[in-house]
Amino acid sequence: MYFETKNISVNYDQVRAVRNVSIGLEEGETISLIGANGAGKSSTLRAITGLKKIVEGEIWFDGTRLDLLPPDRIVGCGVAMVPEGRRVFPFMSVKDNLLMGAFSRRDKASIRADLDRMFTRFPRLKERISQAAGTLSGGEQQMLVIARALMAAPKLLLLDEPSLGIAPKLVQDIARSIVSINRDDKVSVILVEQNSRMALSISHRTYAFSTGEVAIEGRSEDLRQDDRIRRLYLGGEL
Amino acid sequence: MEQVIINGIYSGMQYALIALGLTLIFALMGVLNFAHGQMYVLGGFVTYYVYGVMGLPFVVGLAATAATLALVGVFFEFVIFRRVLKLSVREESTMLVAAGGALFLESLVLIIFGEKHRGVPSVISGVWKVGDAYMPYGRLLVVAMSALLIGGFILFMQYTRQGRALRALAQDREAAQIQGVNVDNYSMLGFAIGATLAGLAGGLLVSISGVNSGLGTWISIKAFIMVMIGGAGVVPGAIIGGFILGMLESVGYTVLPGGETYLVIFVALIAFLAIRPQGLMGKPWG
Repeated sequence: MYFETKNISVNYDQVRAVRNVSIGLEEGETISLIGANGAGKSSTLRAITGLKKIVEGEIWFDGTRLDLLPPDRIVGCGVAMVPEGRRVFPFMSVKDNLLMGAFSRRDKASIRADLDRMFTRFPRLKERISQAAGTLSGGEQQMLVIARALMAAPKLLLLDEPSLGIAPKLVQDIARSIVSINRDDKVSVILVEQNSRMALSISHRTYAFSTGEVAIEGRSEDLRQDDRIRRLYLGGEL
Repeated sequence: MEQVIINGIYSGMQYALIALGLTLIFALMGVLNFAHGQMYVLGGFVTYYVYGVMGLPFVVGLAATAATLALVGVFFEFVIFRRVLKLSVREESTMLVAAGGALFLESLVLIIFGEKHRGVPSVISGVWKVGDAYMPYGRLLVVAMSALLIGGFILFMQYTRQGRALRALAQDREAAQIQGVNVDNYSMLGFAIGATLAGLAGGLLVSISGVNSGLGTWISIKAFIMVMIGGAGVVPGAIIGGFILGMLESVGYTVLPGGETYLVIFVALIAFLAIRPQGLMGKPWG
């Protein structure tokens, strides 16, 4: 597999938040992790970025074992993350936020070219290029953190709840961006979402989490029709 | 009147330089570095020794000061604060450690350089006359060098890759980490820069007012006043706080009898913080 976690477990204090989770993805795929709050999907993502150390298992990406690396080295392996709750650098300009995304790269010319590409892709960001990121609207901040992650020129993009707290109309924009990043930029994507409907509609495969474990997995197309998924993961949503 | 303003600018510029280092370390690590004043004193003594005793050029003295204090900053971060920050869950631990660091540096300076107040020959002589006011060239040099250092610091923070990483780290540690910023290395860099700024302020000021081993606490107190006025962890706040304190001092020394200036400043500070606890430009906590 291009990327996989092999039976990983994560503890918070003494409580096991992720138990024996094995997920995998082939190059070019988008997979989504869905489930309720506290089901372990965000913890799985944090484990991949190294922000949370795993207590068991291994994480492999493109021949590199990630779980032995500190967080600041993982982005250099081609894995970038859009953290939950946006997390822009609030007092830095939009441009500086984007340049921070490219922190792990040294190729000045292509960083500049990528900066221009981001401004073409997200014209709103160009209008606000020297504005402090903290003064942007929620939707604009979400675009900024996605663009910031793309500035790392990742091969694998991790998104943690990108639709959380975003106006419904903008959720569609974000979904479209994710599809385009995957299809046009050839970036593999792991999407963590509580908005299961959105996640199932834009991913190739889906892992449904429940109490720290993968409860159901399969092709998103099939899972959209799956009774258990409809009842447990789609039922509660309007 | 002109004299009051000129004295205020002179004090304000050096104070801003002192406050910058303190606020940088606070912004990066959440550490209140009580040893900041002692770092200033050590810087003063290094310049005193290299320039005053060994007779090398003043600039060499400042370079030696910068190098020494950068090492002290690295030592403080690497040997002390990094470990304490990882182990402790309470903010008081770093404060106590910082206070201990202050005592340690003060004793070290006392052992190496003795208890006498030391001065150095003036770097340049002559007086600049503006209107009815006088500004000795020596002080003008301190103002110019401080302005240069402050400007250089701002440019570094604003326009270099390392400066951006330091700002990112101060604003969101975890988000900075996932962009590839090594928290340990950059905390060390920030601490070294903060200590160097304190030391250079001491090195510059030794050419005017000299230095003695007991000066540190008083410098730290002034630095904390400036940072509280401007807002903790905010670079423009530190600079503004420095100038406000410089001006208050200058006016106070002119209109009030000797020791009462700081009495008034402290009372005013308490009243100000009661109304605006986050300072002029700071973020409200909590």
